[in-house]
Order: sequence, then C-alpha cells, then structure tokens
Amino acid sequence: MADELAGLGRSRPSRRLLTAGGVLVVVLGLAALAAPWLTPYDPDAIVVASYHGPLAPGGGHLLGTDTLGRDVWARLVYGARTSLFVGGLAMAVSLAIGMTAGVVAGYFGGVTDAAVMWVVDLFLTMPSLLLLIVLATVLPPSLLTIPLVIGAIGWTTFARTVRGEVLSLRERDYISAARALGAPDRRIILRHLLPGVLPGVVVLAALGMSGAIVVDAGLSYLGLGVPLPTPSWGRMVSDAQTYIAVAPWLMLAPGVAIALAVIGFNLIGYGLIDLIGRRNA
Amino acid sequence: MIARRLLRALTTLLGTTLIIFILFRVVPADPAVSIAGPKADPETLAAIRKDLGLDDPLPVQYGRYLAGLVRGDLGRSYMTGQRVADVIAVRVPATALLAGVSLTLGFLAGLVVGIATAARRGSTIDVAVLLGTLVGLSLPTFWLGNLLIYEFSYRLKLLPLGGYGTVRHLVLPAATLAIVEFFFYARFVHTNVGGMLNSDYIRTARAKGSPPARVYFVHALRNALIPIVTLLGLDIAALMSGVVLTETVFNWPGLGRLAVQAVFDLDLPLVAGTVLFSAVLVLAANLVVDLVYVVIDPRVRHG
Repeated sequence: MADELAGLGRSRPSRRLLTAGGVLVVVLGLAALAAPWLTPYDPDAIVVASYHGPLAPGGGHLLGTDTLGRDVWARLVYGARTSLFVGGLAMAVSLAIGMTAGVVAGYFGGVTDAAVMWVVDLFLTMPSLLLLIVLATVLPPSLLTIPLVIGAIGWTTFARTVRGEVLSLRERDYISAARALGAPDRRIILRHLLPGVLPGVVVLAALGMSGAIVVDAGLSYLGLGVPLPTPSWGRMVSDAQTYIAVAPWLMLAPGVAIALAVIGFNLIGYGLIDLIGRRNA
Repeated sequence: MIARRLLRALTTLLGTTLIIFILFRVVPADPAVSIAGPKADPETLAAIRKDLGLDDPLPVQYGRYLAGLVRGDLGRSYMTGQRVADVIAVRVPATALLAGVSLTLGFLAGLVVGIATAARRGSTIDVAVLLGTLVGLSLPTFWLGNLLIYEFSYRLKLLPLGGYGTVRHLVLPAATLAIVEFFFYARFVHTNVGGMLNSDYIRTARAKGSPPARVYFVHALRNALIPIVTLLGLDIAALMSGVVLTETVFNWPGLGRLAVQAVFDLDLPLVAGTVLFSAVLVLAANLVVDLVYVVIDPRVRHG
C-alpha cells in the first residue's frame, strides 16, 4: 500500500492529464459564460464604420474583423457557447440512448442482445457523416435539432462499452446474490449494475463530448450546422476559406478554438482511463 | 463461420436499405417539386408523382426499391435524369485514389512510428508520442486542409489549392487525410505493441538473441496485428467521413462532394445511392477483415 502511494506520488501522468484537461475545459466554459464581459461587441453586429475588407488584428479588435465586418473575438467567445451547448446536449443524448441500449442488451442477453447489437452494427456500417448531413438537411436546422441528430447517431460506442461492462458484472457474486434474494430486474439494474458501469461511462462522456464538438464543427463547416446568425466555429472556418489569401488570420482563431476544446475533453478522458486502470491494477 | 458472417452482412445490408428508404419517405420535400420546380402546375406534379410511383402503398414502394437494387438499379437523379449508378461510378476513381493513397501512407507511417516508439515506454519519447497524437487527433480535418492550402498554395505557391487531374492536385488533399490517419494509427500501434513487449514470449525471443528489429517487427507485430486489422476495418467508415470533408475543402470531384451537393439539391435518389454505396463498402471491408483474421491468427483457423 505504501509502495503504491509512493509510486503514485512520483509520476502521476493521470493526475497531470486530468489537470491540464480540466483547466482547458474550465477556461472555455468560463469564456462561454462570461462572453458579454469579455467583449464590448455584439457577435452579430457589424462593428466597422465603413467596410474595406476584413481588418487585421489590433486597434480595438483583438482578432480583427471578419468578412462582414463583425468582431472576430466576439464571435469566437460567443461561439464557445454554441460549441459547448451543442456538444454537451449531443453527448447527453448519446449517453441516454447508448446506456439504455447497452444495459438492456447486456442484462437481458439472448434475443434482446442480438437485436440491439444488430442495430448497433447497422449504425456502424452507415457512413455517419453522410447520415448526419441527410438528417441535418431533412429536419429544420435549429440549435436543438442539430445536437439531437448528432446524439442520435453517436450512441453506438456508449452502447457497446456499457454492454461489455454489464456482461462482466452480471456474473459477479453480488448480482447473483441480489437475484437469489428475489430483487426485481429494475432494482438490480438501477441499484447494482449502474454504479459499476458509471466509471466507464464518465470516460465515454468526456471522449464523446470532444467527438460531438468535432462533428458539430464539421457540419457547420459544410454549412449544415446551427442556422445563421448563431456564431459557430465551424462556419467561421468556412467563411475564412474564401478570404484565406487576404485575411489568413480569420482561419487561425476558430481552428485553434476547436482544437483546444477537443484536446481539453480528450485529456480528461485519457486521464480518467489512466486513473481507472491504475486503481483496478 | 464464414457462412454465418456472410448472412450477418446480408441482414445488415437489408437493414441499411430499410433505414435509407424510411429516411427518404419522411423527407418533407416533395420530389415532384424538386424535379419540376416550384412553379409547376398541380397536374404536372400529379403526373410526375404517378410516374415515380409515389402514390403506391409504402411496402409496395419498398419492394420496388429492393427489386431495383437487386438489378443494380439505384434510380435516376432528379436533377439530371442520369442513372444514379452511372453518376456514382464516374466519381469512384477520384475517391478511391484519394482514400487509397492517404490510407496507405498514413497507415504505414503510423505503423513504423508506432513500433519504433513502442519500446520506449515511460520515457520522454513515450510521453511525446502520446501528447503529439492527442494534439494531432484533435485537429479538425477541414481546418488542417485549409492550413496546408494557405502554406503551400498561397505562401509558397507550390501546389494548386484544389481541383483534380494531376499528381500535384493530389498532394494536399492526400496529405491532409494521411496526417489524420497517421496520428490515429501511430497512437494505436504504439499502445498495442508496447503492451505486447512486456509479455513472456518477447522476453524469450530477446533471450535467445533475436535482433531487436526482428523482435519488434516479427514477434510483437504479428500478435498486435489482430487489433490493428480490426481497427483498419472500422476505420473505413471513419475514413468516409474524412473524405467528405477533405473533398469539400479541396474541391475534389469524388463521392463525398457528390453526396454533399446532392443533399443541397435535395436529389434524393442520388443521396440514397451514395449512402448505400458507402455502407456496402464498409460491409465489404469488414468482411475482408474477418477473412484476414483467418490468415493471420491460427487460433481462429483451428479454434
């Protein structure tokens, strides 16, 4: 025990990964919440007196102005709201569908399991981005439908992982004991299985969040994300592409923002994997 | 085992057609309107609907759709009237070229770097690989492509910023996708081969004096190959997503751009065709992966 603690004290990569990811995510979250205090400008307002192309960074506009004469920094910090909201809701939807499917499949087994896994296979076979594009076009795009669609397509990883963990937990003695005592399925699932599944789910939630942010950015880049004028990082990249020769700085900010958000959540995810693996080892 | 696997692939394929069919039945846009235009009179629209069989009961329509698929008939594009199968066939070579070149380069580079760094567990190189791949995998594909365009097309004026035709056109889009694939495989191989190196049989190989290169590339790699091949099969689906974005960034005339354009045009048969075609590709890739298992893993063959 003492040796273990000493080992943890010497090199704690999991702790460091978690801290780094946590700092990134908290900073992004605070920036999203405090957006009105971080910039005097309205993200949708045209802030230049007369338009002569995008302004370079400096002179009251930290990151310059964009192709329509809007403040880039303002769009970036308000864009954090969009990205985190869409990512968070999409992840929650995936989590809800995937956990339910995984628990049901793993616990009941047999035909139920086969049916659920068949649907999972189906979703893994379909090119997810194409499906997303189709759904995003078919449904009226809004700040709600986009995350719902992303979540409804991305649940398979949750289902597979949760099913796997339930399969191994199901055979444990304490579950058999609960069953022998006559506990109803609902009670066994809610009181005995879910707590065992949770650590893995937390990891997936962090990784799922970064995945959803990337997918949302890709959809926005294709022009199929949350509708205008809501600021979104993906659309900022596609707007910048047209002006890349005259205003390359427009390209830099939104891409770095997406990457930082994704890195933040991935660091948390990997840190947790490391932490859980260490505890079980 | 192979027969069961084939049956499973077939039922998945059937499910895919059903999903595609349902998806396009719930589309609120009236296909007749997208063919005839918004100003067409009601009689024309009714005639087109009758012509397309849109008034028949849904099971009949689904049956007709399946019967068509069996004959290789994916329908006709609403926009151009061309056969969807032909339109897709024209675009396949461009996508196959882009995906093939980038997957090969990215996979091989990832394999080499992953194995070469796997031995240094816990060292600075180990940490560098893990952090490097973490950052690399977090870069959005479409943004990476744009950075390459800026550097190599605008600043250095070395390569075209998009289009198709020569090797020079291929370099940037292929590099974009290859970089993404590289980080993906480097990380996975690094972790997996690294785990293998701690096992007893590797210690035995080292003890009997096998040269390090042989230990890594023959002994460790062979065992690590199974998860790597699984990943390769799963990656085909992810690669399709990367292809859609990369083709859009670089104006590459492949399947991805075809699909995106078809979605914007509400050209439903064309969208359905591209989605189904990609699904078939993924299914085929996974079947191949299962067959490869039999070759590389004696336990599957004899077990």
